[in-house]
Amino acid sequence: MSLQKDPEQTEIKYLNKHVNFKHKRVLEIGCGEGRLTWEYGDSADLVVAFDPDFDSIRVATVDRPTYVDKEIYFPCASSTNLPFSKETFDIALLSWSL
Amino acid sequence: MVHALNEIRRVLVPEGILIDLRPIQGNRLIEVVSIRKSQEVGTLEDFDVRLADLKAANAAIEEIKNRGWFVMEKGAEFGLHYYWDTPSEMKEFMDTEWENSRKLEDSVYQVAQSVWAASDGDARMRTRTRMLITRWKKLG
Repeated sequence: MSLQKDPEQTEIKYLNKHVNFKHKRVLEIGCGEGRLTWEYGDSADLVVAFDPDFDSIRVATVDRPTYVDKEIYFPCASSTNLPFSKETFDIALLSWSL
Repeated sequence: MVHALNEIRRVLVPEGILIDLRPIQGNRLIEVVSIRKSQEVGTLEDFDVRLADLKAANAAIEEIKNRGWFVMEKGAEFGLHYYWDTPSEMKEFMDTEWENSRKLEDSVYQVAQSVWAASDGDARMRTRTRMLITRWKKLG
């Protein structure tokens, strides 16, 4: 068996203790391969999760779990110029990216 | 970093929430763990460049607070675990994935191999990373 990252799911438990994603519009900065995105994405109304690394974004897109109904957007982008209008999102998540 | 945080502030609604989730300074603990027990075998040390990144992140957060862009509402620290079946799998991962940020010393690897070999049959390798999560509310 290969590497297991956080099999106890401690990270998502702490995330859910700090914010409620239900019916929210979420911007995730530095989503990597979408490990966290897929954990909360189904409860949000809109998720845009981006990363500057194209290979990671490809993996995130391909690894979509079958239980996730929502459309989740994975653009390859940088946080210095966000291509969104002002006041678009309810929540911004810096995911290991600061 | 502060410029990026200002961009994030721009796209957040008034009183929108910013969550900062990241590893914090401190070496990663390396353990051999089985159902019966866990045994510490050493630490994985961050390179200076990694420490500089962590310091810059702390400074950026301090800056958004000082500029009155966000106010912190809550926060917590917790431990995050990575597991490998064997010391060699762990070393291979660290040597390839973390080669620019932290290093597994040979002496620590040797101790890990010895302890793992003498441990229970279900023993695995584990690293523990200190994490910080903070919740901030947009002001203004």
